[in-house]
Amino acid sequence: MSAALKDLIRNPTVAELELVARFAALKADPRRERLFEAFAQTGLPGRRVEGWRWTDFKTAVTSMEAPKSAPPRDPLAREGVATLRFTPSGYAAPSALPEGLRLLVKDDVQAMGGAEAAPLGALAAALSGGKTPGTLLVDVSAGAPVHLHMVFEGPGALNAARVVFLLRPGAELQVTESHLGGAALSTALIEFTLNKNARLHRTVYQIGGASEAQAVTAIIEQDAGAESLQTTLAFGAKVARLETRLVHRETGSKATLNAAYLAGAGLQADITTHVRHGAPSCVTRQLTKGAVLDGGRGVFQGKFHVPRTTGQQTDASMQHNALLLEEGAEVFAKPELEILADDVQCAHGNTSGALDAAQLFYLRQRGIPLVQARAILTEAFIAQALEGAGGMEEALRAEATAWLTHAA
Amino acid sequence: MLKIENLTATVGEGEDAKTILNGLSLAVPAGEVHAIMGPNGAGKSTLSYVLTGREGYAVTGGTATLDGADLLSMEPEARAAKGMFLSFQYPVEIPGVPVMTFVRTAMNAQRKARGEAEISAPDFIKKSREIAKVLSLDPEMLKRPVNVGFSGGEKKRLEIYQMMMLEPRFMVLDETDSGLDIDALRTVAEGVNALRAPSRGMLVITHYQRLLDYIKPDKVHVLAKGRIIKTGGPELAHRLEAEGYDGVLAEAV
Repeated sequence: MSAALKDLIRNPTVAELELVARFAALKADPRRERLFEAFAQTGLPGRRVEGWRWTDFKTAVTSMEAPKSAPPRDPLAREGVATLRFTPSGYAAPSALPEGLRLLVKDDVQAMGGAEAAPLGALAAALSGGKTPGTLLVDVSAGAPVHLHMVFEGPGALNAARVVFLLRPGAELQVTESHLGGAALSTALIEFTLNKNARLHRTVYQIGGASEAQAVTAIIEQDAGAESLQTTLAFGAKVARLETRLVHRETGSKATLNAAYLAGAGLQADITTHVRHGAPSCVTRQLTKGAVLDGGRGVFQGKFHVPRTTGQQTDASMQHNALLLEEGAEVFAKPELEILADDVQCAHGNTSGALDAAQLFYLRQRGIPLVQARAILTEAFIAQALEGAGGMEEALRAEATAWLTHAA
Repeated sequence: MLKIENLTATVGEGEDAKTILNGLSLAVPAGEVHAIMGPNGAGKSTLSYVLTGREGYAVTGGTATLDGADLLSMEPEARAAKGMFLSFQYPVEIPGVPVMTFVRTAMNAQRKARGEAEISAPDFIKKSREIAKVLSLDPEMLKRPVNVGFSGGEKKRLEIYQMMMLEPRFMVLDETDSGLDIDALRTVAEGVNALRAPSRGMLVITHYQRLLDYIKPDKVHVLAKGRIIKTGGPELAHRLEAEGYDGVLAEAV
């Protein structure tokens, strides 16, 4: 390894040195280099990096040893749905895709906007493809709605994946993603461009082990009249960051970003979103619900940026409600509304607390045992955040229920 | 059936602890309905919560048994499975949980605790439909989340619906008449009376005699300052209504 490469990250950890070595082994490419440099500015982000105070990858990723854990099942898998599979050894795509979907494999690495703001996204872009570097593009044309499923799973040391979606004007895509961990570090970058009146229905399921680190970075850009509806269910990992960076770049674009997180002992789930209203008359609806047990940690960071020049007639709301189910549960929340425009409707709310004692007693007085009463109330509490998942709602709720009845 | 002896209980903690029940003794034999009347702050609601095991109340002495079983050592859900039912003065809203789901979960949890088989879905629905009819409850209401957006009267009727569905052995009705108009009161009383049986007991807590015109008690107890100061027949309720509590309280001292 050249001295220059080694010096990319200041005071690198063992894991970071391993990442530098992996980068050095790939075919030289100026764009790849630019992406890796963007990552190297922070290295694995940790406490000292703005926006990563509560989600410390630098400390959590102690080595790049493949973890030994049984692979979790995939509740979003559906018979007959085209599936892209990403593992530490590369990706696998079906030979035939449904009409309206085209898969393009670019030999060279594609640029990524705002790479510095998303270091783990930049890392995914710089190292994606493993031995077959390049960028996977999915072109979605207008027509009947199409459904694509993506699975990200181990086993292995590093699972770095990148997919770029282009939704042509009027196209409609349902994408389901199962981020199942299984690697010491999994990082996925998924980019969506929604052209005029395109519709994206995205469902994200994340689960990971207590020795695994997972990052899912989504970058969504929406043109006029485009609409996205995103629903996430996260169970966390040693550290897990699910980040969505969305830009309304033309008038009349709409986004709904819903998420539920359930973090048990030794696990952390971080839901971070950044929404920029870069055009007037756009709508953002955000609802995040969480429940955390003793030794678990939930993080919510939501930012709405509404510039004075472009953000007029913005209609945006942000809600985060967390339940601390046991003593020793931790929730950190940072709602941030940066509103510079004056003609806007923006609302936000942020609460955290324990289950309501009066409700618990009411259920128990009717004969429902404490553990079950807690599960019922917690499920009812998070249910609203999963309502938008359409055909996947039931599958997500079943996973949440199973967790609540066994863990809570 | 229900036997309370020399019960004392406090609410609050440490220096703020306040004695609410102060040597209360009471026995309700199977098949009987007893009424408890008393002024504000006498300890009526505290008695209902102590019997059902709500947190925040500390029993500092005495006993309470149902059919000989020590209620005070049991978790609230175990008391419910044993047959204790409280019709709440202020029924609690449970957003996101439909009434039918809630009651069926409760019924099956109680049955499981007693080692009985679960009720089948068709049997449950049939029973629910019959009871809703008796109480003039809109069946659509039973699909909505428990008590959310219900009027005061609807909430009280829903308490009686749950009571009739769960068929408890002993019922405590905490001010079930408050917030009810005269028609609703009659409907609710019909439901309660339908549950009167030689094997069941009932404690009706109320401020006013009016409810007792519809649910005729075998005995009336006057509760003041945490203990029963006077016991009599239904005529005692009429006397309280006419004279107020002051006369009876003065007499007892």
